[in-house]
Amino acid sequence: MKAAIETRELISVDAAGCCLRGTYHRCGDDSQGSGAGNRTGVLFLNHGFLPRAAPGDSAVYWADALAQSGYPCFRFDLPGFGDSDGNVPAQLLDFINAGGYGSILSAAIKQLVERFHLSGIVILGHCAGAVTALFTAASSKDCTGLVLTDPYFFLPSERTRIREELSRWSSWSRIGAMVSNIYYCLKYIRLLVRRNRPPRNANLALLRCWNQLASSGMPMLVMKAPSLKSHGIKPRMGEFDYLGYLEGLSGRGSRVVIKFVEGTDHSFAGAVGRAAIRQHTEQWLNASFGTESGDRGLESCPAPVRSGRSDRCAEVPQVLHLNPSGISR
Amino acid sequence: MYTVLHGVPNPVARVLLVGPFASERHHSYIPWVRWARYLAAKGMECLRYDYRGIGESTGVFEEMSFDNWIEDVGLLAGWLKSRSPEAPLVLHGLELGALLAAKVFETGVGDGLLLWAPPASANQALRMMLLRRISMDHAFKFGDERKPASDYLRQLENGHFLEVDGYQWSGKLWRDSFKFQMPAGMEHDSNAAPACRRPIRTVKLDKHAVPLIKGSSVGFEAINRDFSELFADNVQWIAQALAIDPTGRPW
Repeated sequence: MKAAIETRELISVDAAGCCLRGTYHRCGDDSQGSGAGNRTGVLFLNHGFLPRAAPGDSAVYWADALAQSGYPCFRFDLPGFGDSDGNVPAQLLDFINAGGYGSILSAAIKQLVERFHLSGIVILGHCAGAVTALFTAASSKDCTGLVLTDPYFFLPSERTRIREELSRWSSWSRIGAMVSNIYYCLKYIRLLVRRNRPPRNANLALLRCWNQLASSGMPMLVMKAPSLKSHGIKPRMGEFDYLGYLEGLSGRGSRVVIKFVEGTDHSFAGAVGRAAIRQHTEQWLNASFGTESGDRGLESCPAPVRSGRSDRCAEVPQVLHLNPSGISR
Repeated sequence: MYTVLHGVPNPVARVLLVGPFASERHHSYIPWVRWARYLAAKGMECLRYDYRGIGESTGVFEEMSFDNWIEDVGLLAGWLKSRSPEAPLVLHGLELGALLAAKVFETGVGDGLLLWAPPASANQALRMMLLRRISMDHAFKFGDERKPASDYLRQLENGHFLEVDGYQWSGKLWRDSFKFQMPAGMEHDSNAAPACRRPIRTVKLDKHAVPLIKGSSVGFEAINRDFSELFADNVQWIAQALAIDPTGRPW
């Protein structure tokens, strides 16, 4: 237990007037807290309302692993979530899909880069976190790369009750499954008629962000989990292939890598998903940022950070060390 | 161990919040934090934490046992009480956390016990989580690919690990869960002081308490659910049970 404590530190940043609380995972050779020192950092963004540990505490696992490989990692709770201050927007999904968290995260990234003397930050965003990652990267000079797991590029609308019931029916009934297949065949025909143009509910602002980043040559790694009735990275028949479309748009200068992770689910929290995300991300980081993050030494020593104790923050996250005779701070 | 202290100067009471278990932690986190802030605003200092091996706390989940987690509750309660021994201490548990809090309360720790949605046994709580995991598996599989629930149970009963929402449940955890039951006299709503002569309250939570407890689904629409009525009612109970005034004045 103690070793893990030595590699982590609770931190907070004051971004756009909001106290964001999070965890900093020190690099393997920086367990004394001397600082990250001009490396590439990794910032984890969760899919939505869950705390920064992510499902099954998978983000903790990835951050520990990547920090051990030389990439200082940061996990923060967004405003109103987890331990951070602030309020959750009433229409959260709409807010996320419009890039609502972009400005606050850009400010947080700027602070992290300065405070930890980083050369830049790679954002690892999952699902809605991937949407936020794209918007943030487009507005932050300090974001140098993106890892997106199961991103989506459409504007989800609330499903009606009838639609929910039909969906449930198709999952257990053979007739329902047949009706569902026919429905998706019709959708496929409509796609062909539209000549593979993005559907009406496409998040055009997000597509523009992708296009801007990809064409500027920002390294991006996209990982996809299997989804219902789909084959590899391709969506099920009748659904628009956003990744294929974006790849086509990105041009020759783009540095986009797409991986399919077999044997996992959307959360990537299981053993297979965890291992795959770790392995692909580590390899991709080494390939894209290896020269920057490599042999750095400890010559660059920023002032020790004593965060999680910002004056603005009345709540104090802390680590208590348990021992049989009691607890000491 | 990861803890968050919602500090209050001169608190009228202290509350140790023993949260829900493993994957349930993540879904209930927002209302749980709001409850802690609500208590602090009423002059009650509270401490919330992550179980060893879960969330921000370190430790290997699959190596932990109910005994370890009970030990945590006891030690944290002692630490919180030591900050100002004159202020009464309430143990408050949610779901499986309620079981842990009740077990420690039974040993004489705490001046009051507040239980939200306590299961009769740890197995009941684990079984609900397992059923949700199975239904998720089934939602993405068809026909023969769907394993019956008995296959999952057999895996645990044979002492193997089973992955549930990213946590490796051990066969031992499953076996122990049958024996880990609510202490006698605390199983049901017992607002009247029971044999231990300290106030206890049990609050049942239904589907309207999602995401504080996990219902059939936890969607984005439930995130901002208003729990002010539940919070006010329970602060009122704490104040009355401990004869304190949540505004800081003598009761």
